[in-house]
Amino acid sequence: MNILETKNLKKSFGGVHAISDLSISFAKGKLTSVIGPNGSGKTTLVNVLTGMHAITGGAVVVGGKSFHAIRPESLPRLGITRTFQDVRLFEQMTVADNIMVALTARGPLAALLERGSADREERVKAVLEKIGLWEKRRELAYNLSYGQRKLVEIGRVLAMDVDIVLLDEPFAGLFKEMVRVIVGIIGELKAAGKTVLLIEHNMELIRELSDHVIVMDAGGLLAKGKPDEVLARRDVIEAYLGE
Amino acid sequence: MRLMKTSESYIFPYVDIVPQLIANSVIAGAIYALIALGFNLIYGTTKFFNLAHGAVAACGAYTVFAILKIFALPVNVVVTCVIGAVVAGSIGYGLDKFVYLPLRKRKASNMVLMVASLGAFTAIQAVIAILFTSQFQALESSGGVSGSVEVYGAIITHTQVVIIACGLAIMAVLGLVAKYTLFGKAVSAIKDDEEVARMVGIDTNKIIGRVFFIGSAIAGVAGILIGFDTGIEPTMGMNLLLKGTIASIIGGVGSLYGGFLGAFVLGFAENFGIWKISGEWKDAIAFVVLIIFLLIRPEGIVKK
Repeated sequence: MNILETKNLKKSFGGVHAISDLSISFAKGKLTSVIGPNGSGKTTLVNVLTGMHAITGGAVVVGGKSFHAIRPESLPRLGITRTFQDVRLFEQMTVADNIMVALTARGPLAALLERGSADREERVKAVLEKIGLWEKRRELAYNLSYGQRKLVEIGRVLAMDVDIVLLDEPFAGLFKEMVRVIVGIIGELKAAGKTVLLIEHNMELIRELSDHVIVMDAGGLLAKGKPDEVLARRDVIEAYLGE
Repeated sequence: MRLMKTSESYIFPYVDIVPQLIANSVIAGAIYALIALGFNLIYGTTKFFNLAHGAVAACGAYTVFAILKIFALPVNVVVTCVIGAVVAGSIGYGLDKFVYLPLRKRKASNMVLMVASLGAFTAIQAVIAILFTSQFQALESSGGVSGSVEVYGAIITHTQVVIIACGLAIMAVLGLVAKYTLFGKAVSAIKDDEEVARMVGIDTNKIIGRVFFIGSAIAGVAGILIGFDTGIEPTMGMNLLLKGTIASIIGGVGSLYGGFLGAFVLGFAENFGIWKISGEWKDAIAFVVLIIFLLIRPEGIVKK
């Protein structure tokens, strides 16, 4: 069953077509990697799926419901969250508050009156312990190392506990040890039945983690299928490596 | 400088004026702080200079004037002040809802938003002048606290004591809300990255609307207190806006604590600056301080 689909999706910036007539789907509970050369439209796809870019044409289907426009603030309700290629945290907030704020989807009046409940604080603690940053909970996000910042972003994903997780190059620029930590967390997300869309360039990790692979080129679909089959295709290798 | 000797120590001449200068500085600082707090709260979340802020402060004062003097309603003065603050807050909320939010949705630049706020400022000021005339009016005799206290030789009126108390209390409450409530965390998140804040489920437009209400209500309180202290006129908003903006810039634009600190720095600079010269120089001193900060520390006292 497909939990997330695009139907004839188009995204243009002026006269530049970043995504052209793209129809792809993501199976529920599976990890699908989206690969392709730089500029093939992978990050634009994630930006469109999360409402950060307006849809030019076509539709996004979430859980069977079709959308021609997505509001970013509706993402938790739709059960979607994401990470960013360039980590985006709330820099002037503490590590704990970066996680806490992801638990706060609510009405404004309740928001004005309520304090962080004990339950919410427990959830923050559980997330920070999982990503190994409990000791850093009072540190401003601004002061963290690059790897720690990546972990906080993953922690935010865990805290939101939604069904569809879009990870935009989560391993970029990380040491091996940190890569294994994030691989472990992604494994847990899969085990918990989450649907994961992974944008990644490391073929080893793609083979290790993916159930399906989608290859994009020039804003369109080039190939899709099982990792070994897709990655062995001549046209994919040519598009990816420019051979 | 000539020194004179007292039984206790060598001190500067005219030393008896120092307590009064300190008191005046603190009073001015508290007023500027009330304007700067609301201004910075709004700037922090929207990233544009809301020039209508000064006119909104005047709305609070004129609401109290209308209730107590024009209609002479038998309403308790404290309740009247609360109504004035709510009216100012509602006008700020309305400006966001009907002017700034539609512009933000059309991806208007911060410059466009600032120009729109200048238009709102002018319109509000004109409406006040039409409704209440351009004459200077006093609120003092309409039920405000009267009398004065002497603190180390400085005379401070009861209204001024209320001004100082309100400045400190509102700063404290805002600080607690920012630190301990989820609303405060949502506001901080919007300040840092509005797009990601939306993505984690914060309805940023609603939160910003409420920030406008709170910031404008605080401005309304400032306008009301000035009304009781010195009086009101339709153009009072401009001076308040300028001083609040200068306080915000020298303290750190968008920073709650920065605006508060900047307000008192400005208050002290202005009042000690005119120690030996005419009070007419006060505004000039404020702008000299502003230019010095813009040249030396443009990010303000509280650096992010």
